[in-house]
Amino acid sequence: MEIKDLSDKTGEWLRGTGKESDIVISSRIRLARNITGFPFLSRANLKQKKEIESLLRKTIIESNITEDISYVNLNTATPVDKLLLVERHLISKEHAEGEGERGVAFGKSETISLMINEEDHLRIQVIRSGFELKTTWETTDEIDNILEKSLNFAFSARFGYLTACPTNVGTGMRVSVMLHLPALGMTKHIEKVFNAVGKLGLVVRGLYGEGTKVSGDLYQISNQFALGKSEKEIISIIESVIPRITSYERMARKALVLESKDQLEDRIWRSYGMLKAARMITSEEILQLLSQVRMGVNIGLIDEIEIQTLNELFVLTLPGHLQKLQGCELDATQRNIIRASYVRKRLDGL
Amino acid sequence: MKCESCNKKLATVHLTEIMGNDKKEKHFCEDCAQNVTNHFPKAPSPSDILTSLINQVSPEIREMSKTTCPVCGLSYLEFRSQGRLGCPMDYNVFKKGLLPLIERMHGSSQHVGKVPANAGAETIKKNELIQLRKELNESVEKEDYEKAAELRDKIYELSGNVEDGD
Repeated sequence: MEIKDLSDKTGEWLRGTGKESDIVISSRIRLARNITGFPFLSRANLKQKKEIESLLRKTIIESNITEDISYVNLNTATPVDKLLLVERHLISKEHAEGEGERGVAFGKSETISLMINEEDHLRIQVIRSGFELKTTWETTDEIDNILEKSLNFAFSARFGYLTACPTNVGTGMRVSVMLHLPALGMTKHIEKVFNAVGKLGLVVRGLYGEGTKVSGDLYQISNQFALGKSEKEIISIIESVIPRITSYERMARKALVLESKDQLEDRIWRSYGMLKAARMITSEEILQLLSQVRMGVNIGLIDEIEIQTLNELFVLTLPGHLQKLQGCELDATQRNIIRASYVRKRLDGL
Repeated sequence: MKCESCNKKLATVHLTEIMGNDKKEKHFCEDCAQNVTNHFPKAPSPSDILTSLINQVSPEIREMSKTTCPVCGLSYLEFRSQGRLGCPMDYNVFKKGLLPLIERMHGSSQHVGKVPANAGAETIKKNELIQLRKELNESVEKEDYEKAAELRDKIYELSGNVEDGD
């Protein structure tokens, strides 16, 4: 599979299936691993980076981790291709912007992604649609087990898996659950969620992880600690928190329907109308419009669109995807025109 | 006014020398002033200022500031300014400085959880024991004595020949 094949389809995690998928978009787990005998990347020279890359690439490809695996060399990839991979959550922003030999291996369904020479030598990532942490962890654990048969990961009995940044040391694990919380955002109750979550050692981030701002009412809840608790304990903490947030969001939606039905319906239908008729839409605006319409589908107001279509549009209308689809670089105005026309096409608009 | 020693740079240091009844005024630039007299201390460099600031805030850094990893060459100060370690050995070399940091970040400094299959039987056992002891404490707290007894037996069985500790 090549990158151009990615631009008009999406990964399985956007299908809108799985538990609580009206609110939980995806469940993601990543493990950070480093190989013994090599320095961490900040102290590795170009030759060492190349050795690490080639060792990991060969091991991953020979290990038959997932069917139909693709490998992209990020050192030679074009800026648009790298942007597309970031938007797909197959690599991180830091990985795209890094230097030297590095790459990513991912399966056809895009559930599994193995990042080589990101901040650590290896990052194993598994992402699934809906609230599915258990199966997500099982797959992650299995890949780690397969790889450790041929690789020696840096580990100490005291500190666990050793990582370049001490915030990841221990399990090397970060669990992130992506939530769509429009009603909590609208009613300003979201601040209360942030406070409660913070007290449990969890952190709320925007759509694209660390340091990114919240847009489209999409939030990622993840663990801050990685040491002193086992993988299963960390997962169970997050597993116990998410249902509380989702039921809080459902309550807020019910309250909105009860207390300001007309305003709510007007807002949702206007957003739907904009998506179907607008000739130019900015990337900022589309997230807001999609968020409103997604809630409209969830509360039963709109029944002619599938959740999957909306989930996919969140990603397919991002700048990298539009440029890949069009086959050339586009400036902001051109992107806004193409974005609007793409959405009209997908939603049978005017 | 130009420096009377090098005659090039601007004189910014003005010294008054009094010997007996004689009073002499001398005018130097900063560089020359340091050569002619030791009364004029060199202005601290930004890194000196930073180090002294760090020393006031975080005493562990002062203690560790001279430590450098023999494997990757990273110094503790470089780690503190960049936030990234250089190699797995750093966790040992900088242990004293890292422990309080790790405690603060994770609320713990002892790994429990997955151990690589090739880590060696002793390590695997040791970590399993740590995990079991933790569970034992938790079940005692919850007053689940049946589970606690079960865990105690498991710990007893496992700990036969494992040396405990760090």
